[in-house]
Amino acid sequence: MRRSRRRGDDAQAVLETALVIPILLFLVCNFVAVMVQVTVQEQLNSATALAAQSRFQAPENAVDPSGTRCCGAPGASLATAGLPTGCRYAAETFYGTMTTYTGLLHWQSAVLCTSGGDSGNAGRPPSPPVAYVGSPSNAEVSCDIGSVKSDGVVVPGYTDRALNPPAGLEVVTCSASASLDFANTPLAWGVFWTPTLHAQAEALPPPFRQ
Amino acid sequence: MGGEFEGVVRPRRVPRTRGGQAIVEFAVVLPLFLFCLIGALDAGLWAVQTSAEVSAVEQAAMIASSAGSSPTSQAAPDALAVTAAISGRLRTALFGTTVASWCTKDASGGCAPDTGQRCPSTPAEVQNADGPRVVVVCVSEADPPACTTPPPGRPTPYPPGCQDSPVITVRVVGFVASFVPPGFGAGAGAFELPTNISATTHTLRFAP
Repeated sequence: MRRSRRRGDDAQAVLETALVIPILLFLVCNFVAVMVQVTVQEQLNSATALAAQSRFQAPENAVDPSGTRCCGAPGASLATAGLPTGCRYAAETFYGTMTTYTGLLHWQSAVLCTSGGDSGNAGRPPSPPVAYVGSPSNAEVSCDIGSVKSDGVVVPGYTDRALNPPAGLEVVTCSASASLDFANTPLAWGVFWTPTLHAQAEALPPPFRQ
Repeated sequence: MGGEFEGVVRPRRVPRTRGGQAIVEFAVVLPLFLFCLIGALDAGLWAVQTSAEVSAVEQAAMIASSAGSSPTSQAAPDALAVTAAISGRLRTALFGTTVASWCTKDASGGCAPDTGQRCPSTPAEVQNADGPRVVVVCVSEADPPACTTPPPGRPTPYPPGCQDSPVITVRVVGFVASFVPPGFGAGAGAFELPTNISATTHTLRFAP
């Protein structure tokens, strides 16, 4: 009688341990995964912000000559001939900054260089940005440049920069999206979610631009 | 009945085997508990450190891209000046880690201009040069090729990209202090984790 009770206690202890340890490891795995997500998001924000600013480091109206290529995913460089040089600068900056954790990211392909875009208002429907002719569509970052309205109309009281660029300046908006995949890491044991990261940054030209 | 012992509660004797079992359970659970606790602490610490590095490197890239000695300078911005600008922010987060500037030492032990402009490519390279738990800030500049007369049929400017502004890369690389014990993790030695964060940007350069 006493022996069977002790055996029951032992079994209970083993069962408790078998239940608690996986739960504990699950919690630690997910905590580490959240930390990784925060870090990658910060790096994505940084790369996008630098890309947007870098667009203005190129001389105004400079266009890439034929045969120009740049950066891009390994084995798939981007052809930028005929595009504004600032677009290539933005891409070079983005790829040069986003160098770590790339093995965990699945990028959403985007058109490297677009123009226009209008978020609309009460009297005008929104219009999406238009891709530059010849702009590669397999880039991991997309920059919408030259969003000054062609007619230069200022909509009073409207604060949207795409509609009313401050003092008529160009506004550059760069964005990038990727999903973070832990499948090929030890964290895959306890992490069952795949977050999608998105970053967007806006930049205005410096007053002393070439 | 009872007599003098009435009302006295005698402690029940714990069987020796049960005491041994508790010790064994404790010995099994303690390392697991410590593993989870230290793992969670280290993950948080690592996230704080990496986050500080990312923002510092971004700030450094902006400084470096506009802090050249002159707009037409062909030399990389002074690594010491860039390091000084961001070291305060880095030191706040990288406790237990030394923040240094990556440069060639001159005869007096000071920083000579880095003519090679080569940053360490791996944290191990920093460890070999400066010891454990040291991160360095390195600033390098890549200049475009010189423009030449294009071959017949090729457009000017030639080669493509020869009129580009230089590319500045700021890198924070090395090993940061952590709770990872010897023999675990990706650290080369004990109580450290590798880090390698970089930011690249074009400089603003005026036409000469």
